[in-house]
Amino acid sequence: MSGLNLIQILNGLTFAALLFIVASGFTLIFGLLRIVNLAHGALYLFGGYIAYSVTGMTGNFALGVLSSMLCVALMGVVLDLGLLRFVRGFELRQVLLTLGVAFVLNDLALVIWGGDTFSMPVPEMLRGAVRVGGGFYPKYRLFVLVLGLVVFLALWLLLNRTRLGALIRAGVDDAEMVEAMGINIRRVFLATFMLGASLAGLGGAVGGAFLTLYPTADAEILVFSLAVVIIGGRGSLVGAAVGALLVGLLNSIGQVMFPELAYFVIFGPMAAILAFRPLGLFGRAA
Amino acid sequence: MLEVKNLHSFYGDAHVLHGTTLHVKPGEVVALLGRNGMGKTTLIRSIMRLAQPQVKTGSLLWKGEELLGLSPHEVAKRRIALVPQGRRLFPSLSVTEHLTMLKAASVKEGWTVDRVFEMFPRLAERRSHRGNQLSGGERQMLAVGRALMIDPELVLMDEPSEGLAPVMVQHLETIIANLGKTGLGILLVEQNLYSALAVADRLYVLETGKVVHEVSAAEVRNDQSPLMRFLGVH
Ligand SMILES: Nc1ncnc2c1ncn2[C@@H]1O[C@H](COP(=O)(O)OP(=O)(O)O)[C@@H](O)[C@H]1O
Ligand SMILES: [Mg+2]
Repeated sequence: MSGLNLIQILNGLTFAALLFIVASGFTLIFGLLRIVNLAHGALYLFGGYIAYSVTGMTGNFALGVLSSMLCVALMGVVLDLGLLRFVRGFELRQVLLTLGVAFVLNDLALVIWGGDTFSMPVPEMLRGAVRVGGGFYPKYRLFVLVLGLVVFLALWLLLNRTRLGALIRAGVDDAEMVEAMGINIRRVFLATFMLGASLAGLGGAVGGAFLTLYPTADAEILVFSLAVVIIGGRGSLVGAAVGALLVGLLNSIGQVMFPELAYFVIFGPMAAILAFRPLGLFGRAA
Repeated sequence: MLEVKNLHSFYGDAHVLHGTTLHVKPGEVVALLGRNGMGKTTLIRSIMRLAQPQVKTGSLLWKGEELLGLSPHEVAKRRIALVPQGRRLFPSLSVTEHLTMLKAASVKEGWTVDRVFEMFPRLAERRSHRGNQLSGGERQMLAVGRALMIDPELVLMDEPSEGLAPVMVQHLETIIANLGKTGLGILLVEQNLYSALAVADRLYVLETGKVVHEVSAAEVRNDQSPLMRFLGVH
């Protein structure tokens, strides 16, 4: 057993940043639409593959990331308007439907991209390492850390400084009441679903470069995202950030100090938190 | 203006409204009295077209247009506002945000944030507090202010005086009476006869989902006994 060093803490933080990007989309959808979107991991993986292919074809990283976000947002629209609308109000059916979609998307990805492991190519300026403390640290992972902060800030501003954001927050509190005020809540739901999905796409695109892309990556990221949202509390942006930090750091600690108990180190504390705060750290009763 | 005709509403198999019929004329303040569980909230929710209850038969005419088949947001767009039972403010929103979520603060037509704050100076003082940091009276003021922001012609108020201190109840009566005088139609659900009499032009008594008595406020002031009999107060 060895202690944590700066590099390992940074690993935890950068993983937390990626988790936050993915889980913030998950928690927005869960909070507002009350849908546990088990296809979120598949959207992440699809986003990663799309970004990989587009970047490979054009050589443009930013274009790859943007097309991933756009395509996955459109997949979100199809999922919401094309499938979920038929099971509106039936929570179990919604969850099962998203699980089915996750399997279908996963198979589809296998057909299109095969079972090999891919790594999203990183642009020249993000390659290499920088000096951190006494050692070197990959520039790209620091970029992901900064991106996580930027996404947090952007989402915070959207939620707290815009009218759409106020509608989303009000909808998380009481969607029926928002509708009774003359707002077509379906449109707010759809916008949120697209936003949440595009965050999964963004996560897949940037995560694909350091976690790599392979057929079971969707389930792994989904489990982590679930932990983040359960710890943070449904629909809470700050909760997702705190949850991601906790899970990211615990994951580092687990891998370094208790490799054979890596999952327990994350899910043990999660269970303990739930025992005292069943709605998560920042969750509110419906 | 609003005509509710022979309405039958259900929660699943539970038949709650048994042919409710009533109307509200333009600018009229109408009180709906009735004990707990008689279907007052069910009627309000039926008019607003909320997901529950289900209206199986009857009709809801608003200026001649059928509301059945519309969504709640379409009903609100036709200028029918809701002040729901229990207030149902948004805990995550500030006082100001409750008012600006519909209309940007820059809109100057109809009800504006400034007008609501003028009417409720207490709310102006607490503009950055969140919905769940207000006192009972302030919450009710905000619930009324929020409803006014849709520029309603009719406001459905479901037991606004519930749980308020007597002095707040009086304040609220003054507010409702003043709103009534501006030509706003109000359908007021109330359990307290004296609160209802203080503001209403006309009163209905609802019993197990049916209107069993209709009377004008003037008649009640002459002779309360028939109304008392229907309310079960002897
Ligand atoms: N969501 C619901 N599901 C089933 N029954 C309900 C529901 N809401 C109200 N009820 C029943 O409908 C009847 C009328 O309730 P309600 O309209 O709330 O009465 P009031 O507002 O007059 O007190 C009551 O018997 C109540 O138990
Ligand atoms: Mg009621």
